Amino acid sequence: MSAPLKKRSIAWLISAAAASLTLTGCSFSSEDVSGMGFPKSASSVNDISISLWQGAWITAAVVGIFTFVLIMWPAIFHRRRDDKPEFPKQTQYNIPVEILYTVIPFIIVAVLFYFTAVKQNEIVDTKTPAQHQINVEGFQWSWQFGYPSAGPDAVVTGTPELPPTLYLPLGESVRFKITANDVVHGFWIPAFMIQIQNLPDITNYIQFTANELGEFPGRCNILCGRNHTQMIFKVKVVTPEQYQSYISSLRAGA
Amino acid sequence: MTTFAERPTITAPRLGAQKTSFGTQFVKTITSTDHKRIGYLYLATSFFWFLVGGLLALVIRAELTRPGMQFLSNEQYNQAFTMHGTIMLLLFSTSLFIGFANVLLPLQIGAADVAFPRLNMLSYWLYFFGSIQTVAGFLTPGGAASFGWTAYAPLSSTDYSPGIGADLWIMGLTISGLGTILGAVNLITTIFTMRAPGMTMFRMSIFSWNVLLTSILVLLAFPALAAALLALESDRLFGSNIFDPANGGAMLWQHLFWFFGHPEVYILALPFFGIATEILPVFSRKPIFGYKGLIAATIAIAALSVAVWAHHMFATGQVLLPFFSFMTFLIGVPTGVKFFNWIGTMWRGQVSFESPMLFTMGFLVTFLFGGITGIILASPPLNFAVSASYFVVAHFHYVLFGTVVFTMFAGFYFWWPKFTGRMLNERLAKIHFWTLFVGFHLTFLVQHWLGIKGFPRRYADYLSTDGFTEMNMISTVGSALLALSMIPFFINVWITRKSPMVNTDDPWGYGSSLEWATSCPPPRHNFHTMPRIRSERPAFDLHHPHIKSEGHN
Repeated sequence: MSAPLKKRSIAWLISAAAASLTLTGCSFSSEDVSGMGFPKSASSVNDISISLWQGAWITAAVVGIFTFVLIMWPAIFHRRRDDKPEFPKQTQYNIPVEILYTVIPFIIVAVLFYFTAVKQNEIVDTKTPAQHQINVEGFQWSWQFGYPSAGPDAVVTGTPELPPTLYLPLGESVRFKITANDVVHGFWIPAFMIQIQNLPDITNYIQFTANELGEFPGRCNILCGRNHTQMIFKVKVVTPEQYQSYISSLRAGA
Repeated sequence: MTTFAERPTITAPRLGAQKTSFGTQFVKTITSTDHKRIGYLYLATSFFWFLVGGLLALVIRAELTRPGMQFLSNEQYNQAFTMHGTIMLLLFSTSLFIGFANVLLPLQIGAADVAFPRLNMLSYWLYFFGSIQTVAGFLTPGGAASFGWTAYAPLSSTDYSPGIGADLWIMGLTISGLGTILGAVNLITTIFTMRAPGMTMFRMSIFSWNVLLTSILVLLAFPALAAALLALESDRLFGSNIFDPANGGAMLWQHLFWFFGHPEVYILALPFFGIATEILPVFSRKPIFGYKGLIAATIAIAALSVAVWAHHMFATGQVLLPFFSFMTFLIGVPTGVKFFNWIGTMWRGQVSFESPMLFTMGFLVTFLFGGITGIILASPPLNFAVSASYFVVAHFHYVLFGTVVFTMFAGFYFWWPKFTGRMLNERLAKIHFWTLFVGFHLTFLVQHWLGIKGFPRRYADYLSTDGFTEMNMISTVGSALLALSMIPFFINVWITRKSPMVNTDDPWGYGSSLEWATSCPPPRHNFHTMPRIRSERPAFDLHHPHIKSEGHN
């Protein structure tokens, strides 16, 4: 390979590396930098998961950049040069290095697993008594939210054209009973960092507390047929007083 | 005393070999039992499906460019991504592995052909007709299957997915899958029984090792898929209730499907890791670093890959989270080992960037990021935040496109002279690489963010108030660039079709494995003479006998 060609390829590699770093940088420099894409304390799940999300990304960034540099290092500094001997040292094994690069990744994933195990036990815990219960049933292609405290008939049913609203009381824990009456659906509230599948003939439970007033989009995320895309809903977090009056209005209506 | 005679070298072509009319060639090709010809059929057919799957991807991207439905109905959109996934995973990538393995494995272990040449041809025809049947649903009034490549029960039942397109999909995949299973049987038998004298297991190329482990995974995973598909068809056709939700069918399907589906990811990854591992030493002029550790890592990956299926089901609320999470994390360790083997191979080498090496570097960088997001997804709390979103779509495209497509092209550029006797053009190859690389990352990097922001996968549409528009536009522009990158490749194949023959065994000069010790293209039964095999680099030892490997052994 001629000298100018070689220089050009190095320039290419450096600019590609710079471009990919800039792109990665851009995507994480949005409004909520510290939550790395998620609102920091929108729900009790965020309180549990956000530190893991941050820690995992910091670890990932360190490991990723370290490995990326190791990949690019020989690509830049150990390139073929005519003034070097034709054959470099034919190294095949280096046992200490090999042990090192097996043990260190193991320690990293063991630490990640420890935090994962602790956090997931908190998230999937449904034994602690909750202050409210709401039934969430998925069907083709919308949602039915039932509020048992307002009576067995107190249900809000959406349609693909008119997605329903799920009311949640601020700061009070809610236990959700998750079911489906036809195919598999997925109950996902992205801002709350939580999802669970609605399975036909199986009942799932999840439990969390909404900690931020406002409206949040919710979406079905398991393909459920033709109008899967229309199976969206709105989560409206209101004060406990407003929630009580909503329950009363449901009771009156039922 | 001579105990065996040297095999005579045939210099003049045999009588009749000159006849190359289209009809003769055609009949010869479709009736061949030559592993190389069958391999080329596999490679060409799977590349055809790659293009079909790619067109469907462009349709999907075009539809998502702006909010609102542009030119598809919801149902057509569902068909598009269902068939995109099915084609890319089962009709393209899986058979691409069989294609590369078919051409290269007998050459690399010094065999004249595979163990069962006629079974090989049968496998191909099962795949060929099975793949057409899978996609034929597009020609039926109800359209193709639209329940996603995962076909979750009970959505895939006749109640929710009536129509012959679904049945064609199920039975087409069963038939094509049978071809894959028989192909794996053939490859395993070939490795165990047909290695040349001196080719011990621990002198086999890493590609051959990975073919062996991949084939074992095929035997573990594909029968489970076949059983699930046949049971599903029995539900649809005969009214059995195997996947009836009342019998727990919804979870049974997910377990069976992912018991196939996760090893399938490694069936798609391992052989292509093998291609990268073949290329790196040649363009570093060094042996593979940590050859035996690398094999151990591959065995570990293959073993762990059958113990992690339920990480696709964290959000079902019905699986043992700590076990499947820990197993999934563990896979990161041997995968990391592989990375360091690859880096160690380049380290202090004479590294040069001919096109195969360039594509391999593209693979390393892309797969690195896909692996990292995989570790994130392995943690159930984080999985609950982004599972089934575009974050996952981005993750598996980084893993699978990064691995399969980048190393496929690396392999094409690398072995083109071995296949055809002619080199591809380097300048066009570099244009190809950079448009592909930039197009790919432009398409998929932004999708991580899209998923974190809450865009679910398999949505045909979004609201203008969702804030997904700009990112979707960037992604669509990227996909167009990615598609354009195929043009220089086609031009390259066309303009070099009559370029001069390389007329040497090893045009790259530093090839390691045995295929570089025979002519380009190889003769009908692969070798006129067999070099002595005394290390994992027989061709290198033959061409550079004075160079010794160093390090503990």
